[in-house]
Amino acid sequence: MIDTHVEEKLCKLFEKNGITVYNIKSNRFKTNTINIFFHDNLNKDTVALNALFPSVLRRGCKGLPNIKEINLYLEKMYGAVFDCGIVKKGERQIIHFYFEYISDKYTNEKQRNFEKAFEFLMNIIFRPELKNGSFNEQYVEQEKNNLKMIVKGRTNDKIQYSMERCYELMCKDEPFGLYEYGTIEQIDEITNDKLYEHYKKKIASLPAEIFITGEMEEKDEAFIKEKLSLVERSPTQKLNSSIIFKCVKEVKEYEDKMDVNQAKLCMGFRTHVHPADNDYYALLVFNGLLGGGMHSKLFQNVREKAGLAYYVFAGLEKFKGLMVIASGIDIKNKDTAQEIIMKQLDEIRSGNITEYEYEATLKSIKTGIMSLKDSQLYVVDFYLSQLINGTHDTMETLVEKVNRVTVDDIIKVADNVQLDTIYFLTSKSHENSN
Amino acid sequence: MNFDTIEYKKYNELFYRYEHSSGLNCIVIPKKGYYKKYATFSTQYGSVDNEFVIPGESKPTKVPDGIAHFLEHKLFEQKDGSVMDKFAALGSKPNAFTSFNQTVYLFSCTDLFSENFKLLLNFVQNPYITDESVEREKKIIGQEINMYRDDPGWRANFNLLKAMYKNHPVRYDIAGTIDSISEITKETLYKCYKTFYHPSNMLITVVGDVDHIKVFEQVENCIQTSDKSTEIKRIFPKESSDINKSYIEQNMPVSTPIFYMGFKDSNFDLEGDEILRYEIAIKVLLSMLMGKSSRLYEELYDKSLINSSFEMDFSLENSYAYSMFGGESVNPEEVQDMVTKEIKLLKKQGLDQENFNRLLNASKGRFLRQLNSLENISRSFINLYFKGVTLFDYLEVYDKMKFDYITDVFDSHFDIKRMALSVVKQK
Repeated sequence: MIDTHVEEKLCKLFEKNGITVYNIKSNRFKTNTINIFFHDNLNKDTVALNALFPSVLRRGCKGLPNIKEINLYLEKMYGAVFDCGIVKKGERQIIHFYFEYISDKYTNEKQRNFEKAFEFLMNIIFRPELKNGSFNEQYVEQEKNNLKMIVKGRTNDKIQYSMERCYELMCKDEPFGLYEYGTIEQIDEITNDKLYEHYKKKIASLPAEIFITGEMEEKDEAFIKEKLSLVERSPTQKLNSSIIFKCVKEVKEYEDKMDVNQAKLCMGFRTHVHPADNDYYALLVFNGLLGGGMHSKLFQNVREKAGLAYYVFAGLEKFKGLMVIASGIDIKNKDTAQEIIMKQLDEIRSGNITEYEYEATLKSIKTGIMSLKDSQLYVVDFYLSQLINGTHDTMETLVEKVNRVTVDDIIKVADNVQLDTIYFLTSKSHENSN
Repeated sequence: MNFDTIEYKKYNELFYRYEHSSGLNCIVIPKKGYYKKYATFSTQYGSVDNEFVIPGESKPTKVPDGIAHFLEHKLFEQKDGSVMDKFAALGSKPNAFTSFNQTVYLFSCTDLFSENFKLLLNFVQNPYITDESVEREKKIIGQEINMYRDDPGWRANFNLLKAMYKNHPVRYDIAGTIDSISEITKETLYKCYKTFYHPSNMLITVVGDVDHIKVFEQVENCIQTSDKSTEIKRIFPKESSDINKSYIEQNMPVSTPIFYMGFKDSNFDLEGDEILRYEIAIKVLLSMLMGKSSRLYEELYDKSLINSSFEMDFSLENSYAYSMFGGESVNPEEVQDMVTKEIKLLKKQGLDQENFNRLLNASKGRFLRQLNSLENISRSFINLYFKGVTLFDYLEVYDKMKFDYITDVFDSHFDIKRMALSVVKQK
């Protein structure tokens, strides 16, 4: 029913002008994708500018001067999907352009869509819609407003917000403490000319990668090369690495009050583990054992035994060596929850790890990693993370290394994990009602 | 072993269907080369089924709101502890969700499929509920309810249903309220279980690279009931085609107001492919009216009245149907005015056939894209199956869609009198 399965792996095609092109071949999916990433350092002077310019680029390019024309174009390509935006990975701010289109064999005309898709992205990124030698002023003003709405609207998702807020307060003196969309003040200060100059400089100098997934023909490589040779680039900007080692002198505590029914307790930890360290694999297992699923100590003790929370988990920010434990609890249960959470960490430190917990954690991590393969976007994100960290794992080698982690390795990692910040999002009315 | 094979050659898809003597169907949708295996065991029982006649009884039974969801939580508890632990020992991820119309139990794994599958089949068939565990679950679900109470998007969404519906239970939250779940007892949970968890009211699906014959054999061996059940009579209160109220507002801490609006639709008595045809028609119409290439979207965006959070959808179930669209907006009322104006204008001017052709193609492309995801395939398949239709039949319906039909649907669905608006904003 389907052609022979293609072995999917990351394959570097070539590098040109500081842009590296990779291919991940597959024939399982109904669609192909093109992902383009530009990497910058997180920096307070440029964070809002970087957040803003992709949304202005999304408004129009050569030949397709507005949203309507762009979308007509996408609809004609069988509902192709295009988007762009930014992500924060450790102390990097990454500008991401994404295009997904139906594989040629399912389109009626049997046309080649790759060239159209790639050309479209090149136009979006390098040939924006201009007016009087700068961006379209109207687009810039509208997108500034949209960006401000994003910044102000952060509090709508309380779970996400409380975790981000915990990390931000924890790293307020480090680049990682910056919110990737900037602040209202930073956005207000941006003028059209300043933004356009910034865009030109960054797009010409930021190190970049292109990932193409799905089906690709040989002639496509030549096509990409030719298109990239038309792009003007300057010498590539240098990237800093994330600061990972920071000694905690005292645990900081913060509280925000909002009109909420459920309080959010977030505890931020420093792991002092770099993702390229050998200890990283043990950290993954430690985190899984502590709060990475239903088998984990947190889920079992905070939710199942004490009935304190509907959700409780531990998550890693591996690029920066941080861990957060997040939970949604009743306001009056803060101390109890905190105590049970810290007790679970101590249990691991003292080696109270059952065979079941250990085995279940290894297996659950393996399932998680291997499952990434069924999504083109996750596969790309996996390899992007490898590039950022300077590591060379495949899903298979990662699983192998995780399997070699011993209980002693876990205890060693757990010993180095340090609580840094406790953040509590609680109700405004609580004090009055008590 | 008897089973059917249904093929869709042009799109590289097929599925196998096997019927157990109890009336239970099992569907296997092979996805060659995929690593994950995704299996579900679901029942056609959701939050709207709060009044029914138990087979063999004559009087209707009314149960507290949120009970289907509560039962979902409780099924994970087994005589010898939580079944989650057993799944976890196999490294798989079990989960479950309750919607208005279904309760679905599932797991995804990469290894040891048949061991996992056995667990799924067993735990769903063997409830073990105690008074103590019911009381403890009330605390956990209480936290879940509170979590959703703090989610402004979720609130705006459910408030719209309250504005549209006067009596139909779709107007109530799936998880119920702290008060309604306080009334739930072990006995009522068992009563609901006995009524709705009969195999003839259930479905099993497996999506992934598996051996379908082995799956069917396992189902054959693990399903404990063989007798067919009598029909469950579901009772829904009388609901007029008019909306309950045209505007509903809730005050919550949000920086930008969040809104959802839509049309109540009474055309839900459809059968077979008609269901797919109607659904596609309304989705394409929504794109024609306010999709990203429409005149209205451009105007709304240029006036900063909507942003990229703007989304739209259409739901069609056995006893209700509605369209819904919205997102963040500084002025939801103005959005509503502009939508109203555009509908009136289009009704006068008529729809554009070229627009329709392009958006139909785009919609089909987006449907094909959904077939990349095991989760999406499974979820859509289950939902449609309980309505008596098959997911892949969409493809043929797309190819047969006619412009005349959608102009008729446009006139009937987009009726300004049946439009409601829900807004969540700061005081």
